[in-house]
Amino acid sequence: MNVVACYKVVPDAQDIQAAPGAAPDLSRAERVIGEYDLMALEEAAKLAEATEGRAVLLSAGSSAVNDTKLVKAALSRGAEELFCVVDDALESADAWQTATALAAALGRMEYDVVLCGEGSSDQYAQQVGSLLGSMLGVPTLNGVSAVTAIDGKLRVERTLEDVVETVDVPLPAVLCVTSDINLPRVPQLKDILAAGKKPVTSWGLDELGGLAATAVEVESVLAPQDAERKHIIYDEVSDEAIAAVASAIKAAR
Amino acid sequence: MDFKRTEEQELLLESLRTVYERGDFEEYFKECDRNHAYPSKAVEAMVEAGFSSLGIPEEHGGTETDLLTQVMVAEEAHALGWPSLCWINFSTEVDDILAFGNEQQQAQILEYALQGRKPFTLGFTEPQAGSDSAAMATTATKRDGKVYISGVKTFSTSADMAPFMLCVARSGVNENPYKDFSMYLFPMDREGVRISKLDKIGNNMCGTFEVYLNDVECDESDLVGAECQGFYQLMKNFEVERITICAANVGMARCAYDEALRYAAQREQFGKPIGTFQLIQEKLVDMRIKIENMQNMLYKAAWKKDQGESVSIDSSLLKRYTGKAAFEVIDDAMQIMGGIGYVNDCRISRLWRDQRVYRIMAGTEEIMVHTAGRALVKEAR
Repeated sequence: MNVVACYKVVPDAQDIQAAPGAAPDLSRAERVIGEYDLMALEEAAKLAEATEGRAVLLSAGSSAVNDTKLVKAALSRGAEELFCVVDDALESADAWQTATALAAALGRMEYDVVLCGEGSSDQYAQQVGSLLGSMLGVPTLNGVSAVTAIDGKLRVERTLEDVVETVDVPLPAVLCVTSDINLPRVPQLKDILAAGKKPVTSWGLDELGGLAATAVEVESVLAPQDAERKHIIYDEVSDEAIAAVASAIKAAR
Repeated sequence: MDFKRTEEQELLLESLRTVYERGDFEEYFKECDRNHAYPSKAVEAMVEAGFSSLGIPEEHGGTETDLLTQVMVAEEAHALGWPSLCWINFSTEVDDILAFGNEQQQAQILEYALQGRKPFTLGFTEPQAGSDSAAMATTATKRDGKVYISGVKTFSTSADMAPFMLCVARSGVNENPYKDFSMYLFPMDREGVRISKLDKIGNNMCGTFEVYLNDVECDESDLVGAECQGFYQLMKNFEVERITICAANVGMARCAYDEALRYAAQREQFGKPIGTFQLIQEKLVDMRIKIENMQNMLYKAAWKKDQGESVSIDSSLLKRYTGKAAFEVIDDAMQIMGGIGYVNDCRISRLWRDQRVYRIMAGTEEIMVHTAGRALVKEAR
């Protein structure tokens, strides 16, 4: 089975400085692989292994995607090859633009299943996987908490609010996996050394139909203002007290 | 000159930190320290992540890497709080046996080393032979085609857990002791071996023992390398051993410094953080200078060794300096912490107890003056 895992290169959340009411300062943030994408990478490696198939990676973003350390970090996790769409115009791409770039790249790749994380660890819009599936016109599921290959199709578990759904999915398909589907491996030195020797194919946006038009206009991205603590204590158990708490919360919004 | 780590080194250190964070080992180490127990759960996690294979040749199941990378990994582990004398890489021990051992000995030692288990305890020091190793009196006597070993070894690390002892004993052939020592490798459960635990002030997670050897029967095939060459064989790796030990010194100092620095920035007295007082700042600054010096010396010595240059003087200077400097850093860290640093719930108290022995073991800091001092003057002649 040909398995593709997608990931996003994001600023390390630990390094982001955000003063209340100001735009987050990313200038000192190191770039890392999205935290939730690591589960997609792991699941792809496991699925390829179980089906004696091949796992490859796909990413779209600014030139940070081609950073040799990040490439090694990605390819030290089981996949055999990396494909990427690199253009600095993708640095601030929205979900639609990113999905369009990924879909164009997948048009040049072989795939039976495409795995995405549950969301990027910077925007966490949880849109790219579902948009990608609809653009490719293939079955698409999110909330996937287990994947097994059975007779040329996939048996997938989706953990919903009050039930675990089991779905058989024909291929090709796009799946967005949950953050608890697996515990991503810890790359060993031999994996890291081998990663540096794996092939990387890089396309520019101009080769893939350019940057899609954006449907979203971002006015500003600001950290929340600090709010003074109100120090109001409700210690009574009664309908009136509950109503008072509820109306206080509503008033504060 | 380039002080930057390679991408591979950075990624390897990230992997190390991931294992450490996932394991959430801090409470566990505290418990092991309190109970004088070996931290096997943490060891297993590190072994599973491949850290015991570093520096062991690929054809023997390891992952080859230079000494500098191994030193960085060991330093980082101790900086995160890994207990001293419990690090799980035994590539030096493996190299000893690959260089001088027979095929069976090699297979046995590799099996344990790759599992992160100390493959052998060293039977070297004796009650009357510490720094003066020529005074070793344990004998290896040949009788009826066998060799019988008798004597008392002391400060044998992990003698309760290591499956073998690598024992240095006099063959009674040459007058000159250095040309009379032979090395034998035998299992610790062999008849005539008895151990007695030493009650020491720190390093609770790693036991240290006296080992009584009473006519321990060995075959000729238990000999490691050549007869009467034991001392020189042991010297093959003693510089590397010194450098590796110093990685723990730097790591422990960093661990204490990081904690004291965070505390100084937060702890308020007289209405402001104690880190704003210049007496505390002076300590922090001097601690940081010592850490920078130690790290630079450590990396340079490892780098020189990797380049095939002699490190006989460097390793002695490094051992003398980092042993003392790390102790001073940890001691100052305790001072910054105040009373909290003195209670066992604070990690710095463990570092303070544990690091002290690094100024004594594997060559005292006084012996380092002897080895480096002589060589320096000789060079100038």
